[in-house]
Amino acid sequence: MSRVWTNRRFFWQPVALLAVALAVAGCKPEPERNDGPATDRIYRHAMDGAPSSLDPAHASNIYANFLAVNLYDTLYRYKYLARPYRLEPNLAEGLPQVSADGLIYTIRIKPGVYFVDDPAFPEGQGRAVRAADFIYSIKRHFDPATRSQGAWLWQGRIVGLDEWKDNGADYDEEVPGLRALDDRTIQIQLIAPFPQLTHTLAQGYSAVVPREAVVAYGQEFAVRPVGSGPFRLQSFHSSGAVLIRNQGFRREPFSLEAEGFDPALQEELGLEALADRAPPFADRIEVEFIAEDAARWNAFIAGELDFIKVPVSQFDQVLATRDPPTLLPELAQRYRLGASLESGFVHTDFNMDDRRIGYHPDPDQQARNRALRCAIIKAFDWPKRNEVFYYGIGKVFPGIIPPLTAEFDAHGDSSPVRRDLDGARDLLSRNGWHGGNLPVLEYGFPSSVTERQMFEQFRSFMADIGYPAEKIRPLTYATYGDYARAYLNREVMLTTTGWTMDYPDAENTMQLFFGPNASPGTNSANYDNEEFNRLYRASASMQPSPMRTAMYRNMNRMVIDDCVTISGISRTMILLWKRDRAMLPDRSFVGGFFFRFADPGPSGSEAE
Amino acid sequence: MQYPLRKAFHGLLLVLGVTFISFVLMVWFGPDQTYTLLGKNATAEQIAEVRHELGYDQPFLRRYLDYVADLFTLRLGASNASGEQVSRILARTAPVSLALMLPGFVLGNLMGIALGLAAARRRGQWTDRLISGLSVTGMSISFLVIIIALQVLLSTPYGLNLFPVRGWQVTDLPSYLWHVTVPTLSLVLVTLGYNTRFYRAVFVEEASRDHIRTARAFGASPAVLMWKHVLKNSLVPIITRVMFSIPLVVISGSLLIESYFGIPGVGKVAFDAITSGDQPVLKAVVGLTAVAFVLIQIATDLLYRLVDPRVA
Repeated sequence: MSRVWTNRRFFWQPVALLAVALAVAGCKPEPERNDGPATDRIYRHAMDGAPSSLDPAHASNIYANFLAVNLYDTLYRYKYLARPYRLEPNLAEGLPQVSADGLIYTIRIKPGVYFVDDPAFPEGQGRAVRAADFIYSIKRHFDPATRSQGAWLWQGRIVGLDEWKDNGADYDEEVPGLRALDDRTIQIQLIAPFPQLTHTLAQGYSAVVPREAVVAYGQEFAVRPVGSGPFRLQSFHSSGAVLIRNQGFRREPFSLEAEGFDPALQEELGLEALADRAPPFADRIEVEFIAEDAARWNAFIAGELDFIKVPVSQFDQVLATRDPPTLLPELAQRYRLGASLESGFVHTDFNMDDRRIGYHPDPDQQARNRALRCAIIKAFDWPKRNEVFYYGIGKVFPGIIPPLTAEFDAHGDSSPVRRDLDGARDLLSRNGWHGGNLPVLEYGFPSSVTERQMFEQFRSFMADIGYPAEKIRPLTYATYGDYARAYLNREVMLTTTGWTMDYPDAENTMQLFFGPNASPGTNSANYDNEEFNRLYRASASMQPSPMRTAMYRNMNRMVIDDCVTISGISRTMILLWKRDRAMLPDRSFVGGFFFRFADPGPSGSEAE
Repeated sequence: MQYPLRKAFHGLLLVLGVTFISFVLMVWFGPDQTYTLLGKNATAEQIAEVRHELGYDQPFLRRYLDYVADLFTLRLGASNASGEQVSRILARTAPVSLALMLPGFVLGNLMGIALGLAAARRRGQWTDRLISGLSVTGMSISFLVIIIALQVLLSTPYGLNLFPVRGWQVTDLPSYLWHVTVPTLSLVLVTLGYNTRFYRAVFVEEASRDHIRTARAFGASPAVLMWKHVLKNSLVPIITRVMFSIPLVVISGSLLIESYFGIPGVGKVAFDAITSGDQPVLKAVVGLTAVAFVLIQIATDLLYRLVDPRVA
């Protein structure tokens, strides 16, 4: 009897201990999530990726840009509610005064704007933001020690800036095209007109940083931000970041009208109550970096997050209808839905530098190669690609002007994205292509299940025109960095990439096919069409106008006719947020400014 | 005096070997960070600048010698991705991983030992079959499935909704238990099968030895046999298993646990460094893990002597 007891005790003791631990733990502790007062209004936001640096010079992706534009001030931002996007002064007092020749921009910054208090400043007191800080911040991009990812925005654009770098990047040396006329006046002198300049001044890259902090923290400035934005950083690590309200942020009453409010589309969001209040409306923003779809969804359903971009794998459990996307009734009681078309597109480029598929010294072979590319494009089944990988709610369009831009032609010819197997087979046979002499297609992608599935789907599309499966080979790379190295070195025959627009202007996608931008530049197709290049140069200095739009559409046609890229699709993102959060979330590259307008509402005052 | 010197020499060789192999893998097969750090429309000159900044243009041997010298002087440098000092990153994340993994590690081993003893005690009987069967079942279920299932069952409105799905806002014991329970259960469930199988095999082997039969002949009760004779004499393999798991727990952490539960530990930092090619972080993690293994090996040898006087 005692033996049995001994064994039972021996067996059950750990189980009992665990049960006690569970019972203790199951009593939820009072949330002690923040250091602020108990009435903090918290907004919890999920990102599906993480920034590695908070230095504006490294704000190259959506995640980093979102944090940069909230911790720092940019001269301009985008109106919260206006679609298409429209610029709005932020740190600047007004829109820039531009000289008649479009070369000189004069910008006044607002008075009484201060950096947050930080030990980097004398006595730890944040000082006023000056025009010279902006000059310094732009110069930093051209200092090799910064390892900036944003210099390309102003490279070859501003008088004397490239030379400043070539002369050793001495900050005491002036740049003729970047001048602080006084503490509040900035003057930028361009080499040639650059109508997109103001857009670049709304990017995280252009955020204003204080020199004292950069010097004091050195490389660690990337994780110790010191800015003048609506929030300041409380913590940052691989799983998330906590931003708290910058108590010294300028108080500017919120105006629905000024932010581009559209009553027809936005009336239900509950934004009217925000009128005349001064953003930021949240005391604290908790940003969770959750790359794993299941974890992100579980956290949202459990009420730990206010907002998520719904993983495609969950669309079935969320949507009642696809066109337009609507929420299932049981979810609609608790959440709001936003169907947001991405400001960018996914496309697969042919490497025109590869003689097997692209340009060839022999004109006949070049013509045959073009026919081959066109046949491949005709065989590509966009509806199926959309259905399988984008839940059928992506927007397929021909060419390189995405639907979200003002230059997009909604009534244009859609035949280039319509599958035409007979036409493809006819092209091949007329140009002497058959299974025996078709070249091996090397299709590159970074290693992942989805990418592999896309490759297999591509191979199945090509099988329908008689392209032998063994002649379509995968080129897999362990990481995206390795893949980028390969295609930037022109080693990949077919390159699939997604382009997220840096600013809402089709010029940003036109430059993807501009000859001088060939690899290692952004033109990974290595397309080089003289007429396209001429039009690009001519349009580059033009303000948006019907004439410029016509030129862009003409260039778009060239890319389609030359069969340079299998393009394209803009993905529709499904955004969900709690109904009582009064806000219009934005997940585009230029959308990070919405944090300051996110209102957690009365129920956001406590951790749930 | 000869013994510690010999151990130190072997340890040095081990560290040099591990660091060299890992460095070869990093340099020749790891991701090239150049193209991640470059801006758009980079020129050949800018590519060369970044490569120079990263030290990629240095000869291989020089880079390796610099690495070893930095490791032994604990100059771990700064992360290429964030610019933060690697020593600061490790100081911040290693304690989190330790606090996260320790309960699961301890419980997993204790329960494994207990179940292993119970199975060995009733070898061939239904208890043994049940425990062995459940162990194999546990080993067959993916870690990921266990994590997601426990999250749904314990942390969402679809289940009991008792614990947080993710996060690590630990300020006191209740908040620690609140955050660590589900990860601990995941860890215990995934390791229990392996631990039980291992310990059962050790105990079965020990139970078949002559001295156990002699003790039984002397009339020792089954409980005394298992606790005093089998368990005590099995301490060498137990210590080996436990000790050599410690560096992995402390330094490597658990990537899946940290990713899915949003816990800022060293496992996720190491994984991000591997996938992004952040060599300063990676070199520190690999190098320090190797050093930790050497130290653990020495400590293990000392413990062997403590529990088994026959070990010379």
